Amino acid sequence: MLRFALAISLLATSAMADGFTFTIGSSVAAQEAPFKSAAFVFRTERCAEPAKSQITATAEGIVHGARRSVPLKVSALQRPGVYAVFQTWGNEGRWVVVLKGVCQNETAGAIVPIGPKGFIRESSKFFPRPAAGTEVDASLKTMVEGDSK
Amino acid sequence: MNMFSGHVSDRLAAYIEEARDATRVERHLAECERCRADYGQVRAGIAALECLPLAEAPASIWSSIESALDASPKRPAFAPWKLGFAAVAAVIVVSFTYWIVNRPSARWEVDGLVGSPVVGVKHIGQVGRVAAGEWVETDSRSRARIKIGDIGSVELAPNTRARVVATQRQENRIALAHGEIHAEISAPPRLFFVDTPSGTAVDLGCEYSLFAEEDGSGLIRVTRGWVSFQSNGRESLVPAGASCRIRPHSGPGTPYFDDASDSLKRTLDDFDETSGADALTAILASARVRDTLTLWHLLPRVAAADRERVYGRIAALTPVPNGISKEKVLNLDSATLSHWKDELAWTW
Repeated sequence: MLRFALAISLLATSAMADGFTFTIGSSVAAQEAPFKSAAFVFRTERCAEPAKSQITATAEGIVHGARRSVPLKVSALQRPGVYAVFQTWGNEGRWVVVLKGVCQNETAGAIVPIGPKGFIRESSKFFPRPAAGTEVDASLKTMVEGDSK
Repeated sequence: MNMFSGHVSDRLAAYIEEARDATRVERHLAECERCRADYGQVRAGIAALECLPLAEAPASIWSSIESALDASPKRPAFAPWKLGFAAVAAVIVVSFTYWIVNRPSARWEVDGLVGSPVVGVKHIGQVGRVAAGEWVETDSRSRARIKIGDIGSVELAPNTRARVVATQRQENRIALAHGEIHAEISAPPRLFFVDTPSGTAVDLGCEYSLFAEEDGSGLIRVTRGWVSFQSNGRESLVPAGASCRIRPHSGPGTPYFDDASDSLKRTLDDFDETSGADALTAILASARVRDTLTLWHLLPRVAAADRERVYGRIAALTPVPNGISKEKVLNLDSATLSHWKDELAWTW
């Protein structure tokens, strides 16, 4: 029984590792002049037809204690499946960028915190599904609490 | 003026093909989603056109043309003077096109930001102009800004001496004798160059500072995009957030991220001077994932016997992507190294 559970667990981990997801990077990864000012760039991973994937993004923030949400338009780069996010949210408050993707029957999500020096790779979270609202709130709360320490 | 009153959609083809109006277009693209979408479409269209295969016309087309010609009424023979006129017109058109492409652009504008910089032998006030071959010099109390055509600007810090070498559309070049410059360039790669006694900084779409002593030693620090520093067949690719020492004779040092540990920077200095094995061991031990920028540059710079250690350290820090063969890396296959660099850049 234990062996069966372990096998199922390993299979599930492997499926998640092999599924559709995102990789984020600084604008230097874009290597395209008009995108050198991007807040960050990202690409789809393990998506058979990236040109047909559906990608959306929003900036979610807390400004003076109030929640804000700004829809973002992601810019496609020359290489298929690579996108740039430009900062169109305000400079005040704390913000995360929430990515959501659909590739064929698979979904992926990510929460990318934005710090004073740009996106924070180490605190970014990736999911095999769209990020839940509670997860976005939790990320923002962590950032705001970090400010008050 | 509202920047959105001046969308750049009608300028995108000229920008992509010839870097026309690059500063304005790139500034606008950074802010305007609509024009970024248009940029993607224009770029894709141009790329598609470049990919179109040359198709041979079917043989039957010639017979149909010949029969059509036979059927058309005979025209009088072409007068010789018309042929001569056409030849002269063709020569004029070709010469004019060549001149348009290769002509020196207008003299660059020089702004005296502080004090009274010198252009040639004349002190300028607030604004002056500089042509190819002329020097611009600042003293300890002056600063100047040179507008590099329509692709950007270069600011000269105090005690800086630089000569304008070329002001052509496809080659904008200055030579930095000594001092410090800050360049902000908005253009496709390889249109702006800065020569120093230790090598040449090649703009790959970027913003950077470059400091050089008279003997050629100095430092390049990139704040946006990429710069390539080249000398004697050695190249350092420096991305935003990274710096690279430059040295006379040995050319560009190994680039490093500014947030790398002091010990890595120190031992890297040692390695660039001496290529010592102890320094290499210390560098490998203190490297983080982001320091694969440094390690990737070390691959062709270490002795062949040490190359596998560098490869192993990069592979331990971040998974080797598909398509990267260890054997090809160790043999310094340029396509493989370039592909690996592009993949590693996602961690930089």
